[in-house]
Amino acid sequence: MPSAPATAAKARPARKLSWRQFRAILRKDIVMELRTFEMLTSMGLYTLLTLAIYAIALSASGNGFDVRLIAAGLLWLAFIFTSMLGLNRSLVHEKDQGCLEALLLSPVDRPVIFFAKAVGNLIFLLIVQVFTVPLFFLMFLSSHAIGGQFWMIPLSLLVGAVGVAGVGTLLATISVNTRGRDFILAVLFVPLMYPLLLAAVGATSAGVLGGQSYVADFWRDMALAGGYDVIMLLAAYGLYEFVIGA
Amino acid sequence: MTDATDTAVSAEGLTRVFGVRKALDCVDFALPVGGFLSIFGPNGAGKTTLLRALTTLQAPSSGTARVLGLDVVRDAVELRSHIGLISHNPLLYPDLSAEENLVFFSDMYGVEDVSGRVRDLLDAVELSHRRFDLVRTFSRGMLQRLSIARALLHRPEVLFLDEPYSGLDPHAMDILDSLIAQIRHEHTFVMVSHDLAKGLELCTHALILAKGKVARYDEKAYIDDTTFAAEYRSVVGLGVA
Repeated sequence: MPSAPATAAKARPARKLSWRQFRAILRKDIVMELRTFEMLTSMGLYTLLTLAIYAIALSASGNGFDVRLIAAGLLWLAFIFTSMLGLNRSLVHEKDQGCLEALLLSPVDRPVIFFAKAVGNLIFLLIVQVFTVPLFFLMFLSSHAIGGQFWMIPLSLLVGAVGVAGVGTLLATISVNTRGRDFILAVLFVPLMYPLLLAAVGATSAGVLGGQSYVADFWRDMALAGGYDVIMLLAAYGLYEFVIGA
Repeated sequence: MTDATDTAVSAEGLTRVFGVRKALDCVDFALPVGGFLSIFGPNGAGKTTLLRALTTLQAPSSGTARVLGLDVVRDAVELRSHIGLISHNPLLYPDLSAEENLVFFSDMYGVEDVSGRVRDLLDAVELSHRRFDLVRTFSRGMLQRLSIARALLHRPEVLFLDEPYSGLDPHAMDILDSLIAQIRHEHTFVMVSHDLAKGLELCTHALILAKGKVARYDEKAYIDDTTFAAEYRSVVGLGVA
């Protein structure tokens, strides 16, 4: 076909430009966050408050209570609520400053904006996790031995964070165009995250608790969480053009 | 009547509905390449909606609009490379410096020789001395100048101006006038404005929008300023928006 080389030649620069646009959005988000610490400060403080509330609540349970039984759930609860706070901010600052319009005016494929925003959010979520997890272990699990294997915990948190960042970015984009943006994000986020939460808590729990067949349980839950990530990221990729233009 | 190939911006039956309200109702016009269209109308007449539709930010409910022959819906991504928007909102990141903002948007538009282009534009808008300063420290006039530099980065053929003089002091207005004059011959302009005198001074074509409909569209050559002003006042005065 005579037109094929021309089409291929046109596609290559387009891909190159998309990569350049992806890096530009990601770099811009990171530079602005490192300049203002808006997201990281709010997420970090919220995490600290949540851990402090856990400490008060668990102090009433006495020494006989094995915190490891609920450790994964507590960790993910803190993580989910903290991430909601940060995810909302990631799009709100674009919208409030009118910059979302400037972004939409540029010749960028909308999925490129999605992936750049999602990767940025993932980086910020991982930074919060890096501080939260050791603090959590220090506060609640320092006197308990890990039943499973330690590497399972960060791996399950990473796979879970990918889904949280991906779905969260999509939902934050939907909610940013609505009046009750904080409320809308919370209402949509938790039900949609439920399957991922179940799998991620299960996988983290396998790492913390150990027990019989914990390795098989871990990989089953990781497969579920990974599958969720892939399906939701593909769905977000397909829907983002419609969502951001709505 | 202009030939289709000479038409820079056109709309045919362009309609945009929000709920039960028609913000744009069968808007028709054609602006030739190199023209300067001033769009007037009272608040709520649909001026900004029309501009948003022409700049691909808002898809029309029905009808078509084309810029440089490209459909605003079907060819939106391609079209965005050829247009620039200067709004009363600067569309800049306050927590980035002037230079960082221009570099960011250069990357978004695939501009080549970024440092040279950014340096030239900062010189042109007389902001080179503030290139490393955060945009949040800029005055309204400086923001608008930087906004012009942002809009010109990718050398667009058509420039859309949404109330560009809004909130500017006389000195900043003079600078904006001078910048528009410098690039006037290279671009097609579409400007939304409340300032009748300024709009008529700059335009080659004028359009009055009321209640989402075109109340008048004419070439400047056929417009008598006094009659046009009276016509505009009657549209605004009757509260037809």
